[in-house]
Amino acid sequence: MSPTRILIAAVACAFATTAIAAGDAAAGKQKVFQCMGCHGIPGWKTAFPEVYHVPKLGGQHAAYIVAALKQYKSGDRDHTTMRSIAATLSDKDMEDIAAYYAQGAGTSPAAGK
Amino acid sequence: MIRTSLLVATLLALAAPAFAAKGNADAGREKSAPCKACHGEAGVSAAPDFPKIAGQHPDYLLVSLRHYKAGKRKNPIMAGQVANLSEADMRDLAAWYSSQSGLAVKY
Repeated sequence: MSPTRILIAAVACAFATTAIAAGDAAAGKQKVFQCMGCHGIPGWKTAFPEVYHVPKLGGQHAAYIVAALKQYKSGDRDHTTMRSIAATLSDKDMEDIAAYYAQGAGTSPAAGK
Repeated sequence: MIRTSLLVATLLALAAPAFAAKGNADAGREKSAPCKACHGEAGVSAAPDFPKIAGQHPDYLLVSLRHYKAGKRKNPIMAGQVANLSEADMRDLAAWYSSQSGLAVKY
């Protein structure tokens, strides 16, 4: 790979990361009402037949959360509830929600559980 | 008779994970070397594309690994990583990463 190509790839990566990091955590806080009923309750589990704890999101990377939501929306990732919720979210909604969770548990009453 | 046997077998298969042994965190740490490149030394990844897994629920981690292995969850990197993991390996890794501090429930 030529130095020019490497430079182009590096610049493209830098822009890609910036685009994903554009979420607004304050706006996201107003959009997580659909999430908190499961992800905000310590010990909450998924429904039969595959029962397990829903993943903790506090402190997770925003880029990963956005990628996961997009996979649910596109059908690349399988979970009935998450697919139906992600289908209602715009890219901006996903970025805002991701920014909110990426901040960490913060002052959450459920922090650390 | 056959139908009853099938029903019993199905119920046992569904219930099996609940009865299976818990993973061993120390064993999981020893098996975690390949994971560190992306997920960090103890599950707190530096790169934002790779999820933090420290402190995550062990059963969620186990289900994720099983889904990658079964092809139900698609990711080229993870598919390669889990191909040679046994159920015991996955349980140990889940026990190790869930025992580390990192993620938290956020309301």
